[in-house]
Order: sequence, then structure tokens, then C-alpha cells
Amino acid sequence: MVEEKEKKNGGRWVGASLPRKEEDRLLRGRGKFADDIKLREMTYLRFVRSSYAHARIISVDTSAAEALPGVVCTITGKEIAAQTHPFIEIAPDHIQKVRDYPMAVEKVRYQGEPVAAVVAESASLADDAAELVQVEYEPLEPAINAEEALLDKSILHEEAGTNRVWSGTWEFGDVEKAFRDAAYVVTIDHMHFHRFSSTPLENNVVIGQWEPKEDRIHYWCNNSFPSFAIQFLAAHLAVHFDRIRVQTADIGGSFGIKITSYPQMSVCALASKKAGGRPVKWVETRSEHMVSSAHGNERTFRDTRVALDKNGVITAIASRHIDDCGAYPRYEPLGCVIYSQVFCGTYRFKNARIEFTQTVTNKCPVGPNRGYSRMQHLWFLERVVDICAYEIGIPADEMRLRNYIRPEEFPYTTPNGCVYDSGNYPKMLEVAKKLIGWDDWKKKQAEARQQGRWIGIGIGTTLDSGTNNFGQSQIINPYAPFSGNSQGANCKLDVYGEVVVAVGSCPQGQGHETVSAQVVADVLNISPDLITVRTGFDTERNVHTGFSGTYASQFAVSGLSAVHGAAQKLKAEMKRLAAFVLQTTQDDLEFGVGEQGPEIKARSTGKSINYWSLANIVNVNSAVLSEELQDVTLNCRYIWRAPFKVPDREKKYGNLTLTYSSQLHIAVVEVDRDTFIPRILDYVAVDDCGVAINPAIVEGQVYGATAHGIGAALMETCAYDAVGNMLTSTFSDYTPITAMNIPKIKYGYISTPSPHTYSGAKGMGEGGAAPIHTISAALQDALFAEGVFINDSFNNGDSIFRSLQQREGGQLSNLVRMEKR
Amino acid sequence: MAIKFSGVFEVKKQPEEVYDFLTDPNRFASLLPDFQNLTVQDATHFTLKVNVGISYIKGSADVKMELAEAERPGHAQYKGQGAVGGGSVTLVAGFDLAPVVDATGAVLATKVNWQGEAQIFGRLASVAGGMLEPIAKKQIQKLIDGLQAALT
Repeated sequence: MVEEKEKKNGGRWVGASLPRKEEDRLLRGRGKFADDIKLREMTYLRFVRSSYAHARIISVDTSAAEALPGVVCTITGKEIAAQTHPFIEIAPDHIQKVRDYPMAVEKVRYQGEPVAAVVAESASLADDAAELVQVEYEPLEPAINAEEALLDKSILHEEAGTNRVWSGTWEFGDVEKAFRDAAYVVTIDHMHFHRFSSTPLENNVVIGQWEPKEDRIHYWCNNSFPSFAIQFLAAHLAVHFDRIRVQTADIGGSFGIKITSYPQMSVCALASKKAGGRPVKWVETRSEHMVSSAHGNERTFRDTRVALDKNGVITAIASRHIDDCGAYPRYEPLGCVIYSQVFCGTYRFKNARIEFTQTVTNKCPVGPNRGYSRMQHLWFLERVVDICAYEIGIPADEMRLRNYIRPEEFPYTTPNGCVYDSGNYPKMLEVAKKLIGWDDWKKKQAEARQQGRWIGIGIGTTLDSGTNNFGQSQIINPYAPFSGNSQGANCKLDVYGEVVVAVGSCPQGQGHETVSAQVVADVLNISPDLITVRTGFDTERNVHTGFSGTYASQFAVSGLSAVHGAAQKLKAEMKRLAAFVLQTTQDDLEFGVGEQGPEIKARSTGKSINYWSLANIVNVNSAVLSEELQDVTLNCRYIWRAPFKVPDREKKYGNLTLTYSSQLHIAVVEVDRDTFIPRILDYVAVDDCGVAINPAIVEGQVYGATAHGIGAALMETCAYDAVGNMLTSTFSDYTPITAMNIPKIKYGYISTPSPHTYSGAKGMGEGGAAPIHTISAALQDALFAEGVFINDSFNNGDSIFRSLQQREGGQLSNLVRMEKR
Repeated sequence: MAIKFSGVFEVKKQPEEVYDFLTDPNRFASLLPDFQNLTVQDATHFTLKVNVGISYIKGSADVKMELAEAERPGHAQYKGQGAVGGGSVTLVAGFDLAPVVDATGAVLATKVNWQGEAQIFGRLASVAGGMLEPIAKKQIQKLIDGLQAALT
């Protein structure tokens, strides 16, 4: 039982660091994950995947596999194309012609693309049978590098006629005037944000069953945005939405990557149909996950020009951004607009021109991944700020203070119309500097440099924009039928008076059960222990909207607003009912816990009614209800809608997200002079997500996101060779961060409540990019005196060694130039 | 990933004899390391079956070969394509023959100038990429040693 003393925040459950309700089952191995689901007559699917990055398929021979005893059936891309429509494309114009099927039909476009699948009585039999499928290919020239792909020498999707997916220009203010008036102009020729993925503990899992009698499809899976998947699948499979049921259970991490498992969902359903309606289970292997699930967007920044005034205040930025979305656009080109949620980052500049182009390449398709699309842009801005600071000779902390949006300017409208709800970046910097011991480290750094050691101190400021306005998709495609955002929840007293909350989210470790209970507990003035929360998506629970799922740092805003709304509706019904039963006014009632459990009491008489009795009247003793209470159900569904408008599509202007959490990290990093391997000596993470519903959960998410970010900065990269082989397809090569590599993280917190949410909370959890900016900045500080500019987001011993060699070879001399006027 | 290989050796045979040997799979195929069997389709097409074992990727590979260029007795080039363990390989390999003559112009031997490039695709490259080049070079050396011995 949670103790009352745990209550914080003015006697409320919201704000208390309660242990998670989920903890007991998850830590004891009692969670129920998709692979735990066993169904009668279950079959197992194994994909046959392309070894080529780009090749024409000459033939697919499944006969040997089909002859193996225990094989139920096989399915090929051609069979799938014959009975489905291509997946819908979000991009307009020529990309509408792209024929994207869940399996290659005529060509393969990335190494690991499914070419066929085998369904067998056991998983190991399916493995063996898949090895017997013979595929003959005619290799084609691959397009691996994004800038080369844009030359269209080798086109991936001939029907589109070009590799270019989308392009557009964001221009605000008077960029040319700002450059004319500038005291300094800094030019950065080339920067690159590397490709990496996420490494959830649990890989993708799909069980699909096409139930022949009802002609319905039933999925058990761990997709993290089922509402989106259903919309794609319904059109593709030509099945009405209502005939697709998706259920999720516990999910072992997603970080966005599991949003894009709908192609595999399609194959499992079609394989089930071919197998006579038997359920088909696909459990992704780790190397399949690395090669073919989804990666984060890789981005190149070209010809960046920065105008600054004489004080080092940035007045304008102009740049060309080239985004690599891999072989199929799928969720893209949403990343082409999502970056603009944080268009100016944490900075005040008003004049900017960003020319944004996205291209396909013969690599794994990208998907939303940890701070999707924003982290690339925020890294770019942080590099710009740092490089300008070094060029002009302003300390990195001072440079930021001169350029940060000031606390008194919130709510702050960015050049492209986004409204930053709250924040205090100078305060975060102050807290972080104090936690790390900035002055001490500066002293130690100076001494270390005297000894020839390469030690750097770097600052990274980042934003975690949460609760999307899906109307931003119309900036990409004016015909996109999405706008706003919504989330649903249900709150009820069941027949026996138990408070049961259902939400449409798919938590992957974020503690939705706990925080939902905390919100409802405050509304009803009972302990969170007395509240049952049903998480995990289930179409037939009818609490979801078209935006339901867990992604984009939004549950604390959208999910809990829906839960709060549903709890308020329930409370209102309970009050009406209790007032009738206790023969008093609603104002006379108070909620609490009595001798017979949760109850409502009349202050004037001391009489009370417990929840069981209330529920009993409505459900099984309804003849006593008066006429005016016939509408009371004690089963309340609430849909929360975000207060958004459709952005101006032409001007690319409008509010794209509701809340903006912020993170400020400082790292002290040393580069070994013999091995060039960077090592973190000290690390601080300061977070501001407004009112923390459960500070312990927030802190846990900060640690997790920071660990992931450190991994991305120093260890993890999806490396491809010149012909499109992914060279980091196992953990041995990809080297994800583990407990052994995570430094001690000093954690700090400030709170600037959001005026845009009922609770003051802001979505958080995707601040994982902060370490990438921070470590780049620290390495810059360590190596600037050596003539090295950090212009890549991935820095390990090899790459630092190469940078130093390039500097010696004079290849870095034109990378950065400064003109002083 | 690409593996390039090349070399030169001499054998005390006439260029025509060397050429005939090197363009007849029935004669040279068995010298290939881990050779299993050969199926000849026609004068310029044949399929080699060889064992492959790199780390835990083990199996046999069917490599379809084509004698793409044949200029007796000076030059020939093979093109091949095969699949193993979720990976694929494409191969271009050829040789140029030159007579080694004495002061009188008599042919004493033939200089074999050979070169090739293998492109490895898929799981084989992803998982075993770092090991492929040294293993391939070792196998190629075995093949060359075998060819030299057979031609001597």
C-alpha cells in the first residue's frame, strides 16, 4: 500500500515519487510480452532477406522449402502484390507513384529487405526452410550516399523517376539584410549527423491471424503506434478499419522504432490467410532488427552560413539540409517538417533560411527514432553555436547566454510560428555548471593542457517537443488528412465499485499505469493503489483515437489530459448519484476513503455511500434510479483534443507542438593521446519538463535517454560499405551502450510549468539527443587547439584519429571560415 | 565489400597449353579449395559447388560461372555469381598470358598475370566482413599453388 506520506506537491499524488505499479510484475519476470502469447495451432514465420542492397529479382524458388515436412506455406512479394494495394505514401506528387509493398516484388532496395517468407510448424523449422529458398538476383548499382543519390544516377523507384522524396524551403525574416549587416559571417562547409538505431530489449513481434469465418484480422504485437498502423494496413489490405483488431501487452522498449512494424504485420496476416486462418507468429532476431527494422534519419548539412553581430549574437542562419530516409519513405517525409518544431532551438535568432531535401538511398528505411528529426536539427544548431563561439573567441557558456531565448520571453513564438510554452535556459545552465563544478573543471583543464592532455568541457542544450500537431503533415502534403492531436481514456466504476482506468497508449517502460493512477487518485481523493489501470492498446476497448499510441513525448500531456477528463466526468456522475442517494446537494459531498473503502460522504449528515453501492445502483439495482439519473453510466469515455489549428501550408507557419521540455547537459571528456578514444570524466544532466507527475519516473527516463545519447555519440553507428552491406548488424559490431559504459550521471531538475496543459506538465523522454550535442561540444573544446572541428555527430577513436590525420593533410582547412567585417 | 586479388606466376608450358587448362573447368575445378562438384552446362557456362565455412556461417555455395571473354591464347575472363548463408558473391576473375622467350625467341614458359575482384553481399559481409579478406587470400594462394603444380 502506498503511504499517504508519499504525497508531495501540496498534498497531491501528482508530484509524488511513487514506486511504479508496473515494477512488481516487470522486475519479477511476470510481464506479458507479445512473444509470451501462445495460441492454438500457432505457426511461425521466417523471412528470406535480400543480401543485395540494390538488385533486380530474377526468380524466387520456394519449392525446396515447401517440400520440407512441417512447412505450412510460403509467401512471396509477387503473391502479396497480387492481393494488396501498395502502402499509402505521405509525400505528394511523384512519390505517390512509389509501389511500396511489405516484401520486395521486382527489385530489392536494401540489404535485409524481405523477399519471401516461410511459415512452418515451429520456429526452427521455419529457419531451416528459409535457407532452402533460392533467389536469383541481377545486381544493380546501389545509391548509398545521400548526396550522390540525389544525382539520380541509379534510381531506386523508377516509377517515381527520381530519388528525391521531398524538398522545401523554410525562410523567415530578412536573411540577406542580416548577412549584409553582420559583424561576423561564419561559413561551415559540411556537417553530418550519423545514422544509428535503437536497441530495445525486446525486438519486434507480430502474431497475425486472418480469421476466415469472420473475415477479420486479429493482431497481437508490440507496435507502438497501432492507430497509425491500422490506417496504413486497412488501405493496403483493402479491409475496413473495424475488421482489424490490434492488441498490445507489455512492450520492452521502442524508442519510436516499433512504429514502423506495419509491413511485417501485413505479411503475418496474409500468411495466416494462406495458412487457412492459423495464427502466424514472427519474432524478429537481433540481427534482423539491426539490418531491417528502422534506423534514425541520417542528415548532411551543407553550405551553412551564420551571421552574427559584434557581440556574438546570431542574427541569421542559412543552410542546406539533406536527409537520407533509406529505401522507402514510409513514415517519411514527416521528418522534413518535424525538425521545424525546434526551428530555432533554444536561440533567439529571427532570420533563417533552411533548404531541406530528402532522398531515398539503398539502406534500411528510417523510422521515428529517439527525438525523431529534431535531434538532428538541434545538434546542427549546437554545432553552429559552438563553432561560431570558437571562431569569434567567446566562451561556450557565455555564447549561449547571449543567444538563449530569455525566461521573460515565454511563451515564445519562434520565427515559424511555434509557441514554446515555458523554459528557463540560463537557469538550467547555472544549475548544470554548479553540479559539475564548472570553475574547478576549468582549472583542472588548464593544468591538464599544460601536461599535454586533451580535455574538453562541452555544453549541449536541447528541446523535447511533445504532443504533435499532425496538421504539420499538410506542410508536406496539403491533402494529408491529419491535423491536431487527440487521446482517449475511459474511467469507470465497475460492477463491484472498483475504479478502472483504460488508456489507448502502448507504454514501453514509461510508467503509464502509475502516473494515470496518480492523476485519478487526486481527482477522487483515494490512494493510487485503489485504482486499476489497463494500459496496452486494444482496438475493442474503444478508448483510442487516430493518434493513440506511445510516441513523441506526449503521454503526460495528451494521455493524462484524457485520463483527467475521464476521471472528472466520472466524478461528476458519482456526485449526481451520491447526492440523490444521500439526499443532499453536490456541494455538500466530499470524496475519500471510509471504513468500507472509497466513499462519498455528506458533510452535513455524516452519511456516506461507498463505491460498491454506487456501482450497484447503476448496474444491478437500477430500478431505484430516478428519471433524471437515467444517463448516469459510471463508465466515462473522454477524448482530449489539443488546441491546434492547421498551419499555414504555404508559409510553413504555425504551432506544431504543444509543449517544450528542455535539457541541458555538460560533459567533461578526455581524448587519449595514444588511442584517440574519448572517455567521459564527468557528466551532468539537467531537465525541465514542467510539473513532474512522478519525479522518480522522470529521473529514470533522463538516465535512460542520457545513456542512449552517450551510446549514439561514441559507440553506435549503422555503418554501410560502398555496396550497401550493413557492417554493424550485430551487437558485436554495433556495440550498444551497456551499464559498463555509462558514466555516473549527476542529475538536476528545474520546473517551469507549462501554461498549455491542465497540470503544468510537459512531455518528456526524448531528450536523448542532448549527450550527442554535449559530447561533440566537449570534443570540440578538447581538440580545437589541434585545429580540429567536430563536424560529425559520431566520434570514436577511429574517427578522431582520422580527423587529426585530415587536419595534418590540410583537408580541414576549408571546413570552417570566418569573415570579420 | 570488395576483395581484390592479383598476382603473377610462371609455368614451363606453352601459352596455348596454359590457356586450354585455365579455360577448361573439368581440368581446373578440382583444384579449387573445398571443391565439391562441377556441372558443365555448355562451352562457356558451368556451376561450381564449393564448401564455405567462415565462423558460424557454414554451408555450400553454388557459384554460376560464365567464361565471358576468351581470346586464345592470351586472355580470358570469368564472371560468376553465387549465394551462401544469407549472403551473395559476384566474381570477376581473369588472366593474361604472355610467353617467356629466350634470346632466340623460343618460348620457355608462360607468364600468368591474373587478377580478380569479388564483391560480397549480405549477411556474409555484415557478420564476417573483417575475416573475409584474409581467408579469401589464403584460399586464392592455395588455388594458385595448385594451378602451378598442375601445370608443371
